[in-house]
Amino acid sequence: MRLLKLVAIFALFASCAFAQKQAPLPKELPPYGPEKTLEAPAVKIAKLDNGLTVWLVSKPGFPKLSYAVAVRGGFAADPNDRPGISELLSNTIDQGTKSRKARKIAEEFQGAGGDLSAAAYRDNIEVSTTVLADKAEAAIAVLADVLQNATFPDNEVALAKKNLADSLQQQEADPSFLASRAVAKVLFGTDPYHVISPTQESVAASTSADLRKIYAQRFRPDEAVFIAVGDFQNEKMMGFVKANFGSWKAPTESPIAETARFNPAPTHAVFLVERAGSVQTTIEFAAAGPLRSDPDYESAVVANAIYGGTFGSRLTLNIREDKGYTYSPFTTLNSFRAAGDFISHADVRNAVTGATYNEMTYEMNRMVTTSPTADELNQAKRFLVGIQAIRSQSRASVAGQLADLWVKNLPPEEIGIYGKKIAATTPDDVDAAAKKYFPASHAAIIAVGEGKVVREALAPFGIQIQPAP
Amino acid sequence: MKRLFCVLATCAVLFVAMSASAQEWKPPTSMKKLPNGLTVVVSEDHSAPTFGICISYGIGFRLEPEGRTGFAHLFEHMMFEGTPNSPKGIFDRVIESGGGATNGDTRYDYTEYIETAPVSALDPILWLEADRLKTLDFSTKNLENQRNVVEEEVRVNVMNQPYGLFFAIDLPGKAFDTYPNAHNFYGDFKDLDAAKIEDVQKFYEQYYAPNNAVLAIVGDVKPSEVYEKVEKYFAGIPSRPTPPRPAVEEKPQTAERREKETDKLARVPALAIGYRMPPPRTATALAGAVAGELLQNGQASRLYQALVKEKQVALSVDGGVNWPLGNPFEYNGPTLMTSFIVYPPNVTEDQVLAAYDATVNELATKGPSQQDLERVVTKMRSDLYAQLEIPITRASALSHAVLFTGSFDEVFSIPDELTKVTPEQVREFTAKYLVSTNRTIINRVPAPASPDAGKSGGAQ
Repeated sequence: MRLLKLVAIFALFASCAFAQKQAPLPKELPPYGPEKTLEAPAVKIAKLDNGLTVWLVSKPGFPKLSYAVAVRGGFAADPNDRPGISELLSNTIDQGTKSRKARKIAEEFQGAGGDLSAAAYRDNIEVSTTVLADKAEAAIAVLADVLQNATFPDNEVALAKKNLADSLQQQEADPSFLASRAVAKVLFGTDPYHVISPTQESVAASTSADLRKIYAQRFRPDEAVFIAVGDFQNEKMMGFVKANFGSWKAPTESPIAETARFNPAPTHAVFLVERAGSVQTTIEFAAAGPLRSDPDYESAVVANAIYGGTFGSRLTLNIREDKGYTYSPFTTLNSFRAAGDFISHADVRNAVTGATYNEMTYEMNRMVTTSPTADELNQAKRFLVGIQAIRSQSRASVAGQLADLWVKNLPPEEIGIYGKKIAATTPDDVDAAAKKYFPASHAAIIAVGEGKVVREALAPFGIQIQPAP
Repeated sequence: MKRLFCVLATCAVLFVAMSASAQEWKPPTSMKKLPNGLTVVVSEDHSAPTFGICISYGIGFRLEPEGRTGFAHLFEHMMFEGTPNSPKGIFDRVIESGGGATNGDTRYDYTEYIETAPVSALDPILWLEADRLKTLDFSTKNLENQRNVVEEEVRVNVMNQPYGLFFAIDLPGKAFDTYPNAHNFYGDFKDLDAAKIEDVQKFYEQYYAPNNAVLAIVGDVKPSEVYEKVEKYFAGIPSRPTPPRPAVEEKPQTAERREKETDKLARVPALAIGYRMPPPRTATALAGAVAGELLQNGQASRLYQALVKEKQVALSVDGGVNWPLGNPFEYNGPTLMTSFIVYPPNVTEDQVLAAYDATVNELATKGPSQQDLERVVTKMRSDLYAQLEIPITRASALSHAVLFTGSFDEVFSIPDELTKVTPEQVREFTAKYLVSTNRTIINRVPAPASPDAGKSGGAQ
């Protein structure tokens, strides 16, 4: 979704802070006005007899609505000999059903004003669309068909395999992809969470039969959530849901196994991905992070905000606004159902590779040694709470946030509780999270760039440099 | 763009589409002009206690001086570097600790500054926008810093990326003949390096005047209160003469243009195809917007179906009118309908083009069916609503429309107009504009990497 991108961008810069030496605010600057509370979305919760969880948010006044369906089981559940097959499945789920061909599916969504989006993540696959409200019934019918009756026709799967193989080849040139793949391997080793994409081998080996088998295992009502957000009345929407999903049957076999908790503890070393012709080095510091349900999750979010989340954060002020090493540094906490990670990313010109490594190490350690000032903490918290309100503007964003909560086994109320927890975070909470997650020695460093440039730049630091796995 | 996510993400965000008779949706919207020439638009949205603001200035890539390529964008960065009243750092700090986010975008026909935040931050944000319209901190240190940041932006988006945005930078460079439309909008490093603080100051004085700006606010606000606040903060800023708009028109293209480029980072070849488009805000342009959507937006589009699915000569097809740096309705000078096609290494350029031409020719001969047309217009209408859903993107659309036409009406009327486009108009447009003599093609193929690969990268 185009809009989600904007929301996601703002969410990325999730937080704010100020280092020392803050200039005083201008005398004439008017103060903030009174705060208006953000009403958490009222989620109507229901369960169909077949076990399908239904979460509805009726939001009249604007003639669109978003549907999102998440099923449990993503990359981490892929068979060992088919890593990343979830991506092939999400690429082909809309390529034919018992009664519709691929083109007809695409045209029916288009005629409802939407596109179907299907995406694989570590813990789940999510299928979603945003359509005109007066096409709600037509759209849910195609959506339900795709979720229950996909056939994975041989010819479509063959084409999707070929295109995915070429896309993977293309991705081999993308420094951000190379960094992410190396980070996942370094943090998670052989744990199921190390998979973030297919390989040429797994794509080549995958068949329509594999896809149908995995589809049957994962696409079942008792392991799925249906979410609708937008311009509808709950009662009428429940009628649509029952009519289109009521006869969906759960198989007798047991659902996929729960993923075991995994805590990354990577070697503090540089893992080099050689990329000839690079004019920049892509640097990522990667370490363990909290689960969304961990008690210190919100504290870590605030700490991350102070460290690198915004234009006003410590790292951004340092390596962008002071030194001009980089255009867009970012830091992020990714939480999965049974693991979490923390990643700090910067693309910098070759000549400042060593200097940037030094500053990132310094700023991570400074989180451990230097408590946030009252202003830093206040700003970070206000930023995070405000951004949560901004994310509520988009129906698709609300649907996506709710799906994410369900995947992590959290109730929908959490969407409203999050802001309260952020607002209640204390300096001690932030210090504790910083000590746990931010010491640079807890992090692996992934560097994507010219091998010679990276080795020469980092040699003086005495840190071990090895090829990325 | 002040920040990375820019070029592609934002242009997508700014994609307009349209509405139709089935479900008219038009939020309360009004407009007022201050004595100093600043135009203010207010549109209400009370669904969340937030607002979005967009202030657009009538200066973009097209108008930046020769020998100063990339200047409009470099300048955009300078707008975030503080003022004598509000030193560097205050701007971001006040907005972010107000719970909001900020950014800027430079495009061919405007430079926009956007913020979104809870309504409690409205007063300080208006004050900050007014403050940076009075004067800036014209310091050499800030310029040096942002020059470095911009050069990193160019490295991360162009020089270190496969394809290096060649469909957005190199293609207009070959398709157009005059400096305003053809030059590299990110800027040649030699021009960026030559920029002096006096140039920055002069540029500011020329273009950053209230009479060259449109401020739009959308959200949980009352129009009367917004007008009162805007007057309080902006009314004292004097209007200034701005330079006359230079001629930006092109002589008609008469022959197809073909180019070949090599790419040391890409692994898979790609084509960029650009057709020159009719002037904006005409019936033909409207038909062109529909043709663009019909041909290349999404899995239901004809080029996707023909090239990716049926003939299997492409991996992806992206594009549209005024793509990727805008939408088919927001341009104010020559623009292209662009296709960016990534294709498999075992397929030839000619095979891709043969399939492409067959699809376009079919549309030029038969036109779309009424049914196809209705489906596509429904999708365009839905996409337009998507833009109006979010305060900050609605503010952008309103602000650009007023900047280009003096009225925001088209933001709400294009939807209805689209439903009136006929199959014959789409056919006629296709037959007249999507012809080989009106297009430029760049074929970009992978080259083996070498140590000096940084020089290739593309957009230099």
